Amino acid sequence: MSRNNIKIFSGALVCEGSKLRGDITVGSGTIIHPSATVIAEAGPIVIGENCLIEEQAKIIHRVPFDQQNKENIPILMIGVHNVFEVDCTVEASKIGNNNVFEPKCFVGSRVTVTNGCTIGAGCHITEEQILNENISICGAKCQMREGLDKPAPQNLQMETLLKMLPNYHYIKKPNMKQQV
Amino acid sequence: MELGDVIYNKTEYVETASGNKVSRQTILSGSQNIILQGKVIVQSEAIIRGDLANVKTGRYCVISKEAVLRPPYKKFSKGVAFFPLSIGDHVFIGEKTLINAAQIGNYVHIGKNCIIVMVFNMRKDLENLEEFLKASSYDSINHLSPIKTLFLKYVMYWELCYMVYILVQGRRAILRDCCVIEDNTVLAPETVVPPFTRYGGSPGIQIGELPECQADLMIDYTRSYYQHFLPSKSA
Amino acid sequence: MSYITGPEYVRYACTCGLLKSLPNLYFCRHCSQLRCGFCVCPEVDSIFCGKCSENIPSAEAKVKKNKCANCLICPSCQQDLSTRIASKGVVNPDDSKSPAKKTYYLSCYFCGWNSRDVGIPDQTSPTGGWPERENVHSNRLQELLDSYKQIMLSQKQQKENDKKKKFGKFVSYTDRTGITASALRKRIGIPDIPHAMLRKPKLPESSTATTEVEELPDKFFTQEIDLLEVTTIEQRLLQPESQPVTVDKLFPAHKQLSIKKSLRCRHCERNVSKPEYNPNSIKFKIQLFAYYHIPEVRLVKVGDLKRGQPCEIIIKFTNPTQHQTTITILNLDLAEQERYVEEQQMMDISENLEVLSLQFKQPTSLPSLPGSQPSSLLSLPPRQPHLTIKSRKIKQTVNSTVEIPQSVFILPPRDDAAEYDDSNDTHNIEDDSNLVIWRKSNKVCIKLLVNIHEGETIGEEVFCGFTMDHVYTNIIAANFENKQPQKLNHKVRIFLNLGKM
Repeated sequence: MSRNNIKIFSGALVCEGSKLRGDITVGSGTIIHPSATVIAEAGPIVIGENCLIEEQAKIIHRVPFDQQNKENIPILMIGVHNVFEVDCTVEASKIGNNNVFEPKCFVGSRVTVTNGCTIGAGCHITEEQILNENISICGAKCQMREGLDKPAPQNLQMETLLKMLPNYHYIKKPNMKQQV
Repeated sequence: MELGDVIYNKTEYVETASGNKVSRQTILSGSQNIILQGKVIVQSEAIIRGDLANVKTGRYCVISKEAVLRPPYKKFSKGVAFFPLSIGDHVFIGEKTLINAAQIGNYVHIGKNCIIVMVFNMRKDLENLEEFLKASSYDSINHLSPIKTLFLKYVMYWELCYMVYILVQGRRAILRDCCVIEDNTVLAPETVVPPFTRYGGSPGIQIGELPECQADLMIDYTRSYYQHFLPSKSA
Repeated sequence: MSYITGPEYVRYACTCGLLKSLPNLYFCRHCSQLRCGFCVCPEVDSIFCGKCSENIPSAEAKVKKNKCANCLICPSCQQDLSTRIASKGVVNPDDSKSPAKKTYYLSCYFCGWNSRDVGIPDQTSPTGGWPERENVHSNRLQELLDSYKQIMLSQKQQKENDKKKKFGKFVSYTDRTGITASALRKRIGIPDIPHAMLRKPKLPESSTATTEVEELPDKFFTQEIDLLEVTTIEQRLLQPESQPVTVDKLFPAHKQLSIKKSLRCRHCERNVSKPEYNPNSIKFKIQLFAYYHIPEVRLVKVGDLKRGQPCEIIIKFTNPTQHQTTITILNLDLAEQERYVEEQQMMDISENLEVLSLQFKQPTSLPSLPGSQPSSLLSLPPRQPHLTIKSRKIKQTVNSTVEIPQSVFILPPRDDAAEYDDSNDTHNIEDDSNLVIWRKSNKVCIKLLVNIHEGETIGEEVFCGFTMDHVYTNIIAANFENKQPQKLNHKVRIFLNLGKM
């Protein structure tokens, strides 16, 4: 997968200095900070609309260890309104909408993240599991609790960032028209 | 135990007139907004997000490898504003640590791989301020020409930041002077770390006390760290 | 720098025989002795809340059970809760300009718990009026508390009564005339009311033990437990009065208060540390820390630790005071310390015997306090129990000896301006070049040779020790009697951990 095929829809903001490898689609309204990393190693990654990917965040689409053939690997679909905070590592096989990955968390490749989940700062989730909706995980013991509601979206922050970041960074030009 | 010498590659570091030693392999976004007061060491792959808001450090600070300094933000009804991040004198920040705080006092030691996230919530004064601004100026400028409006909004944005900054200074310094954050600590937002305490764990709780002469220990530590941070002789 | 993070390599022997690193020691200027945390008496100086940084008077803190009235912590993860705004429509729906109605709820930024989870209604003011949970046992507790108070009172009065009886046979005029108040009452025909202090305090109903226990419901065996519903031990113990079993019964708790403490030397009862009142201040009114008075010793370099050949170590001395001092390295004389300890013990025993014999003669004399001297008992006002810490033997064994150098060296005073002075001013001090290898302002590095004892195995940690004799300039006596600063030789035993062989 040395060939990069990066599709950026208009309205997305991808800073130059972010590391994108492989077949990646970035939905409109998504912000990728400098020195964030997205690697589509096993198969393509599709990032939905209005996601926020901060610096040092790593989203990696890996071939699972027990699967040797590189065929039939599904696309890693990342839903809308997800927030990947500083220095988080996410290798989850499927990511829904409105999730928050707090700083320095680690999500392994056998984990399926549904909607509205919060993975707390510094938490490591590696066992094969499906995280139910609105679950929040926090603390050194990865204590789980179920919330009533999904975490608040970061729309306001993203609006500000959309205005501020172009003043300081070179931006990768969107190469796709508005999504239909 | 006396600190050993740390030898760095002379070509990698830039030394400024005020004695700051900054690695070339750092990411200093918005460098015009970053103030290093002097004798500050910024090691390789550290990230300072000056593009989001002003970042100011005091004298004799050490920012270790892969540390991230990132100004915090506060939500308003009209949007989000990033706030300046200020760090006191004689502060040590360990490797891979993320600082997302508003203010860090003097003589603070933060270990490796810590996460310090602070979300603003300044309650009454700020809401009043916000409402005052909303009521007094936002409405009245809407009939001005678009360019003027933009300008005024820009000025007001900075004023707002400045006023809030003063409030923060007066009311809510968050990591107070003389505290130690152990390695791998996750400090929850809104945590106030009082002086002479040692915090650790996730979520970070107080796990010990510090000797009363901690300030002088930190002065000595950061000073000798600077004195032992030497360029390689061959280069 | 081991003070902040790592293990302690250099330890000083406190006067009491415990080994501590220099920053954890105090130096009482009045006794001219080192004091460790156990040789000083802590006192609560002020009580404050660590979150809102407000001082709280001790009486108020007592009423509030040492919890902050305003700050709440999350019942789920014990972190501080914060208030969040929720806008709910407008106050007056007809008027489009009326401000949005704001309500507030509590939320934890760490785990996401919020007051809506457990059904606490939103409040209209940000500062609170948060509902308090009534303790179901509060009546019973109050009853017990009252009865204990009554018992205490009656006992106190009994004691006073006993004391009064000693002074005279007659307490009042009626006693003298032979008619007591109760006799008078009887004579007039009013029923007798027992005196308040004679009245037996009313005891609350004692709780009774029962052998009948409710059967364990079957659901514990049949139903699978949902870990998301059950609280953890920490969560239950945070609220000891209710101890919620399920997460829906969690309730915000008040934050525990912190204190600032001042320290008092147990020997001379003078303060060695007194912080400023403001909770955020890191300054001190009185700061007699050893770090500011005793030369600091640091290991710089340790050579190869091999048995049978002397190992070279380099140690650095720093003078923290404003006065020049001379340092002499002496032999670590543990026998001397042991003799001293034994003498002290003998003295204590003889004193105790004396006190005991005194007591035997006069049973009514003041009860003796263990370990205190009779003379101090008489001279001191009866304040708090004056517990002196007895010296003990130093437990650390030393498996190597330091070759004691013949010469002494001088440590110049600390000069804050010297940091900005790049010139290598050596103060024209003539040093023994075999001993002193480096010198700058108030710092000196010296070279010592260490011989490891025979019979030590590889992999064992090597400890060595020496006695540092330094000239200490005491300025307190000078201020007091208008004399020259008093100079005295102070000896400290220092133990070094040189690492593994």
